[in-house]
Amino acid sequence: MDFGRRALVLRRGRIAVRLPWRPVVVCAVLAAAGAGMAVLALMTGSYALSPGQVLSALTGRETGFVQEVVVEWRLPRVVAALVFGAALGVSGAIFQLLLRNPLADPGIMGFTQGSYTGALIVILVVDGTYTQLAGGALLGGMATAVAVYVLAYRRGVKGFRLIVVGIAASAMLDSLNTWLILKADLDQAMSAAAWGAGSLNGVSWNQVLAGGTCIAVLLLTAGALSRPLRQMQLGDDAAASHGIRVSPARLGLILVGVALTATVTAASGPILFVSLVAPQIGRRLARSAGITLVPAAFVGALLCLASDHLAQHAAPTPLPVGIVTVVLGGGYLGYLLFTEARRRL
Amino acid sequence: MPRPRRRVLGLVLALVVLTALLTLSVMIGSTAIAPSVVWHALFDPSAHPDQFAIRDFRLPRTIVGLVVGAVLGLSGALIQALVRNPLADPGVLGVHAGSSFAVTVAVGVLGVREARGYMWFAFAGALVVTLLVLALGSTRKGSSPVVMVLAGVCVGAVLGGAREAIQLTDPDAFDAMRYWNAGSITGRPLDVLWPVLPFFAVAAVLAFAVSGPLNALALGDELARAQGVRLARTRVIAVLALTLLAGGATAIAGPVGFIGLMVPHVARWIAGPDQRWIFAYSVLLAPSLLLVSDILGRVVMRPGEIPVGIVTAFVGAPVLVVLVRRRKASGL
Amino acid sequence: MSSTLTTKRGLAVAAALMSASLLLTACGGDGDGAADTAAADTGGEKSAGTRSVKAANGTVEIPAAPRRIVTIGNTGLPFIDLGGKPVGVTEVSDSDLAVLPKEQKAAYEAAEVVGGSGGDVDLEKLAALEPDLILVQFHSNDWDKVGKRLESIAPTVLWGLDTEWKAFAGEIATAGNVTDELGRQKAEFEKKVAAIKETYGKTIGDTTFVDVSRGDWSDPGTFYIADIGCSEIARDDIGLDLPEAAEGKDPLAYESLPFERITGLSKYDVITYPVDAEGRPTEPFVPVTETSTWKALPTVTSGRALGVFCPGNNSYGPVLQYLDSLDGALATLAGKP
Repeated sequence: MDFGRRALVLRRGRIAVRLPWRPVVVCAVLAAAGAGMAVLALMTGSYALSPGQVLSALTGRETGFVQEVVVEWRLPRVVAALVFGAALGVSGAIFQLLLRNPLADPGIMGFTQGSYTGALIVILVVDGTYTQLAGGALLGGMATAVAVYVLAYRRGVKGFRLIVVGIAASAMLDSLNTWLILKADLDQAMSAAAWGAGSLNGVSWNQVLAGGTCIAVLLLTAGALSRPLRQMQLGDDAAASHGIRVSPARLGLILVGVALTATVTAASGPILFVSLVAPQIGRRLARSAGITLVPAAFVGALLCLASDHLAQHAAPTPLPVGIVTVVLGGGYLGYLLFTEARRRL
Repeated sequence: MPRPRRRVLGLVLALVVLTALLTLSVMIGSTAIAPSVVWHALFDPSAHPDQFAIRDFRLPRTIVGLVVGAVLGLSGALIQALVRNPLADPGVLGVHAGSSFAVTVAVGVLGVREARGYMWFAFAGALVVTLLVLALGSTRKGSSPVVMVLAGVCVGAVLGGAREAIQLTDPDAFDAMRYWNAGSITGRPLDVLWPVLPFFAVAAVLAFAVSGPLNALALGDELARAQGVRLARTRVIAVLALTLLAGGATAIAGPVGFIGLMVPHVARWIAGPDQRWIFAYSVLLAPSLLLVSDILGRVVMRPGEIPVGIVTAFVGAPVLVVLVRRRKASGL
Repeated sequence: MSSTLTTKRGLAVAAALMSASLLLTACGGDGDGAADTAAADTGGEKSAGTRSVKAANGTVEIPAAPRRIVTIGNTGLPFIDLGGKPVGVTEVSDSDLAVLPKEQKAAYEAAEVVGGSGGDVDLEKLAALEPDLILVQFHSNDWDKVGKRLESIAPTVLWGLDTEWKAFAGEIATAGNVTDELGRQKAEFEKKVAAIKETYGKTIGDTTFVDVSRGDWSDPGTFYIADIGCSEIARDDIGLDLPEAAEGKDPLAYESLPFERITGLSKYDVITYPVDAEGRPTEPFVPVTETSTWKALPTVTSGRALGVFCPGNNSYGPVLQYLDSLDGALATLAGKP
């Protein structure tokens, strides 16, 4: 993949001047689309409500069950999809920015399998509560990330080495997960599997607030840390193949990226591929030369919300959102392979 | 030691190890059966239940392990030669995901419940996915390791998602697939093996037939062409052999990973870069690895067993990490 | 997790209370269904139309005569078995559906499906059904996820997964107001148990049994020793001498045994194995009966391997069918040395 200089770095006039307003316009359009999608999501559901009822519930003029459905059921789910999607988009953008490889995705590198292992251990071995499950997922994901990073470290971390170690880790964890599920009874295993598919079903304000607070802090950190990156941008693939020096800013960013994914996974189960696809789409829409965080966040939010809407209303039975994102994201990845990757890799 | 002698000695040694493991595989199991009973069961049969246990379960399991192991080893060596990527492996490339998906459709949608029935689905799924991944991962300049892995991951993930969707809406399918997804060689009666054997035989002949041209291919397409190798024909034959091998192995044993990845490396280490020797060694060494893993799985968690696919993943993943850290081995 | 009120006396008291409250029945649901009254009133005002039951989620005020019941998780089939007609259910597996009596299958199919398993309930669909009572048994994690919301729709009664089946049936009958049928089934159950104990007392006393099975989920080449489900009833109610997992350990049934362990079954006097309603080995179990090892077992050759039909073990209906089948199996032993 070609990650050249970012379009907005206009120092020394080395880059042909692009229209600086394009990313801004793109983000505005994405935000509008997200808002429209959110309204649509608030309006649809098997419990029939008129647009008027939804509006008055949102403005606090409804009480009772209508208000419950709109404000306590639908709204947190919409907000969660947007916030989690943005977090995943940024997380993916960070990895792709640092490791210069679209494969450097938390979902491919075993972090999510690690989260699943943590969650499974909590469900099947400790028989813990839902909160403990989220904790287990968080720990499992972070521990896997650290292990993969350490194992792949040899005079710097090379993107491809990291990916292969990640694939090894995810294969091993997959087997461990299979084994854990084998040892469980069907009710437990189904419950674990439903979580493992990544679902926003039943997301509550508590989860949104807890997850959202973490995510907000992490996003601010990411913004602060990504500044020095602009000076570190290496221009071409040759440089990328020499391995990447570890600087505190980089390490910090990677930690932020893992934490973002782990937070979302803990709250909703693994929602795969948003982090892989969103930065790529964002880059194309904004026509920036490299991966940028902000468009990735907007695309991720919209993608996650749209996928959740499809998952709820397109299939005969409601599906977990993670299944839809996997199929959509995987399809998009295939398309990428056919076009760009074939020419450039 | 000069290489030719080392090669021949190595082959003899590999055969000795394999014979020893085949013997152990018949001797060791979940229940303790005296060696004398094993001996009688094989060479002086009577109707004692213990003898049936040897003849009905351990012997077929050992034979299945031998065949599936050899096939996995050969398919691994073949795919690594074909894509010039020492990290390629049928499992990494999404073949298992294809089989799992096809079997889930058979179990969940069509209600197939018999191993003999969904075997063919596994076979078909593996074939389709292998072809798809190889098609996606081949560029005009040959195949890039990154694109190949990317293609495998992508196809694997999409099919995995679709598989989960079916499983989550159908508890029966979920339950049946819990076990299939582990990968194991128990309880496969030998009549599961017979229909696939001709495919294996054909594939093995094809694989050894293209092993020479694949040697030339290792030097790069231009040089191979200069040596008069027909690139397209070599690739097509290799892919055909590969899909038959990987598909058949998965159909019988489910997704057993890492054997095909690790064994060719050991073979290269002993025999050097000549694909013919690598193929021969892989065929001999892989069953040993599979049988060791299977025997381990039988005794670690008595009275139950750990499916061999889980054992190989635990043995194999660390090996993959070590390989990728050795710059020379991974060629990166 | 498990709920209280498990003793027979407790059940009897509950049943008495229930029939008393039946006489005082006032319609509990507000059945006009306009959106503005869809809110389920759990305000705890004790009208004559409500009563309280103890459940895993605390003491719940429920309508005395609920009319629109939704069953979630494992409560569906037991409720239907008691003659209940839920308006909403979560999906049950095909294998469970296959052994349902016709009228029960019709009751299941008449209900709206509001979700799959694994706690994935379509809450809005559920709310749109305007239930006046929700009966739930599933994993506690699923409850953590959707419990509060279920309670906001209608009074909700939760059972943990570890609830003993008789208590479970009794409490479902109490909550769902189908205690007459429960009483009938219970009486029949006790009569059958007593009859079996009396007829085969000697056999039960001096025979060792083992119950083996295979699920269609079992790995090829494995079977398990069934110590939960129907054989638990055989052990606890009938008093058959069956192997049992050590205290505090996972049930034996969780351990898949390789086929070569079939040889070890010869240490028991009698083997019971699963058959369908017609007496043929169940489809998953056929591979076991096809092995030469099985055929060569002395227990099998002497005709002491008995097929028993177990359509379910979570409510009285299927259990009664099981007892009949066990009765027939034990009868064949009588003439054997």
